[in-house]
Amino acid sequence: MSPVSAPPPVITAWSALSPLGTGTAAHTVAPPPDGPAHRETRPDHTVHLVPDFEPRAVLGKAGTRSMDRVSALAVATVGDLLRQLPPDRPGPHTDPAGTAVVLATTGSPQAMRDFTRSSLLAAKPYHVNPAVIPSGVPNCAAGLVAIWHRLTGPNTTICAGRTGALAALGHAQRLLANGRAGRVIVGATEEYTPTRAILDLRRQPPGDTRPVLGEGCAVFLLEPPAPQPAGGPVTEVLGVVHNTGPASDPAARLPDCIREALDQCWIRPGQVWAALGARTVGAHGRREQQVLDELFGTEVGHRVAPLPIGDTSCATSAFQLAAALAAPAPTTTDTILVVTSVDVIGTVACAVLRRRPVAARQR
Amino acid sequence: MSDRNRIVVTGLGVVCSIALDAADFATALRAGHCGARPVTLFDTSGFAYATAYEVPPFDAAARLHRIAPETVGRAARFAAVAARMAVEDAGLTDRELNQRRGLVAIGTTDGGSHELDLLVAEEIVGGPDGVDPGLVARVPASALSVAVCRELGLTRAEATTFGTACAAGNYAIGAGFDALCRGEADFALCGGADALCRRNFTGFYRLGLLDPEVCRPFDADRLGLVTGEGAGVLVLESEAAAQARGARVYGEVLGYGLSCDAYHQLTPQQSGIVRCMRQALDDAGCKTGDVDLVCAHATGTRTNDSVESSALNEVYGGAPPPAVGIKSMIGHTMGAASALGAIASLLAITHGFVPPTVNHVHTDPDCAVDCVPNTAVEADLRIVQNNGFAFGGNNAVVVLGRYPS
Repeated sequence: MSPVSAPPPVITAWSALSPLGTGTAAHTVAPPPDGPAHRETRPDHTVHLVPDFEPRAVLGKAGTRSMDRVSALAVATVGDLLRQLPPDRPGPHTDPAGTAVVLATTGSPQAMRDFTRSSLLAAKPYHVNPAVIPSGVPNCAAGLVAIWHRLTGPNTTICAGRTGALAALGHAQRLLANGRAGRVIVGATEEYTPTRAILDLRRQPPGDTRPVLGEGCAVFLLEPPAPQPAGGPVTEVLGVVHNTGPASDPAARLPDCIREALDQCWIRPGQVWAALGARTVGAHGRREQQVLDELFGTEVGHRVAPLPIGDTSCATSAFQLAAALAAPAPTTTDTILVVTSVDVIGTVACAVLRRRPVAARQR
Repeated sequence: MSDRNRIVVTGLGVVCSIALDAADFATALRAGHCGARPVTLFDTSGFAYATAYEVPPFDAAARLHRIAPETVGRAARFAAVAARMAVEDAGLTDRELNQRRGLVAIGTTDGGSHELDLLVAEEIVGGPDGVDPGLVARVPASALSVAVCRELGLTRAEATTFGTACAAGNYAIGAGFDALCRGEADFALCGGADALCRRNFTGFYRLGLLDPEVCRPFDADRLGLVTGEGAGVLVLESEAAAQARGARVYGEVLGYGLSCDAYHQLTPQQSGIVRCMRQALDDAGCKTGDVDLVCAHATGTRTNDSVESSALNEVYGGAPPPAVGIKSMIGHTMGAASALGAIASLLAITHGFVPPTVNHVHTDPDCAVDCVPNTAVEADLRIVQNNGFAFGGNNAVVVLGRYPS
């Protein structure tokens, strides 16, 4: 899409919940190497879970009895984001109807599978637990985030696989540009469950290395630029482009997708400080990285390491954004970061971010 | 508002139980056809009843140019067929489309859930290793907008699948509208698609929200919704682009609104719906007296219809315009519902009639609206409000107008 003429919106706060822990610091300060993992069979794979994440323990007993994991991760992460914001600061606390939620997720295939399975195996097909029915729709998580945190603005769920958080960021940018919301909580959530493992691993091309599977949620507060400089560096979202690649090789579309995104932001490839691909294990990930290395050079293409949390499927690009925000970028000059993602279904996406030191905004 | 482009609708694609293109849909809506029939898509043994507004078998291969129908899921197939129809209806070629900046936005409730149902049955028999990888690839909802792009050969278009359930079609129209208003795209293919699925049916059955026979919105004896399936896709263009190519125009998208109840996962809340309607009318620059018709969400459940009627009365000061429930004719097509509602609204404006609410015997005193029972009426319509509400408290309302106004 073409550039918005208004000043670009800025990410003013973020949080994440992953196998590394909760909050910005856990994803910023020299993350430890891959944490404890456990092995699963059928299909054979290794998993990093969010440690000690039991929805009822984390969120309390009220309203969590039937909450699926993917929704609980989102509710908890948005809660952590909101706790960072001073209660009197204009924002979600003071203007819930002007606060949009845009969440990328595919819902809980485990909850859907369990429901159908119990129906197929029961004496009567309707001998099923009605409490889990809300988990049958992908907008369950975003709806629960709204209910839990009393956010009554536009509430959007986007299904785009790995590219979801980037598509969501583009949608959030558009909601702001058109005055649909005063600010947007945007991100992505993914759960680890055996059914997700089947869905992710059974569609892998034969012979591909099995990824370690992870889970978690990352969310970002996107706002119009403040009239006064912020107290710290800010990250502007300059633009997002996402489209569809060929079935045989979705990443073949990525070079044009990236060029279009850079062009509309008036950025040359040589200005890019870091390009973050999804670094997924297997042929698609290699193709994506190859594209980035060819366009930007290997130094830029490898400058920022992915968070060591395993493959988070629909939350992948949200954790790439988190890694971009957490990266030790230069503090004296503007820094351009490119985040790309490719999904096996065929979606490709590129976001262009600019991190600005405090002084640079006071021009 | 005045500085944004005017957006018009130049093409319509329809797949539903009573029609396989826009012209047939207009005829069926005017005639008041009801598409309810016994479910054939999945095994219904053990259920006391199993009625749905199922799409009859049709030759998808004959309608699709690029994708082989058997390579995509049922909902994605409906989406691709409806998009192909809409583009042909608009008189656009694939080549013309790919030379312009475009956006594809498809809404859904269940995505590839019919395929997930099949996969669960396979897993019961053969364990996790027994599931067909080809089926796995058809489960993600993201495949819907991807299928539309692949069918039309669109590589440059922005492609998004909105998972905002039963309001998703209106969300998709809103996204296309915003992109076009600001000149970020030259055309948008917006709509929604869903296929019947056993899990969805079982869920509504278990909740006691299904009517065993037909959908009868606003009726005193209504028993619930009846699930349906299909797809609706609209071609949106700026007024200037449509004029430049001399396109036939069905109507104008005047504005829309989004809100979230933040109240309950399954039960709608009047105040959230009211806020959404007011936002939409305000965005469209309309006063309540300007609206001639409401294409209501009208699922036929006890709660939805009474809450929606009360909300309409609140917004319209106790005198709402006629509010019709086309789900009586096409069932609850989930993610396609508000897209098909928008298409029905535009056909009503174009052809000068109000589609009826069929299967109607006695209006519920709790539903104080004129639902235009059973028989279409001729009407000169200028502005129609199209409602879409979803589980999760996701509300989306689109306002459509006659063109030229």
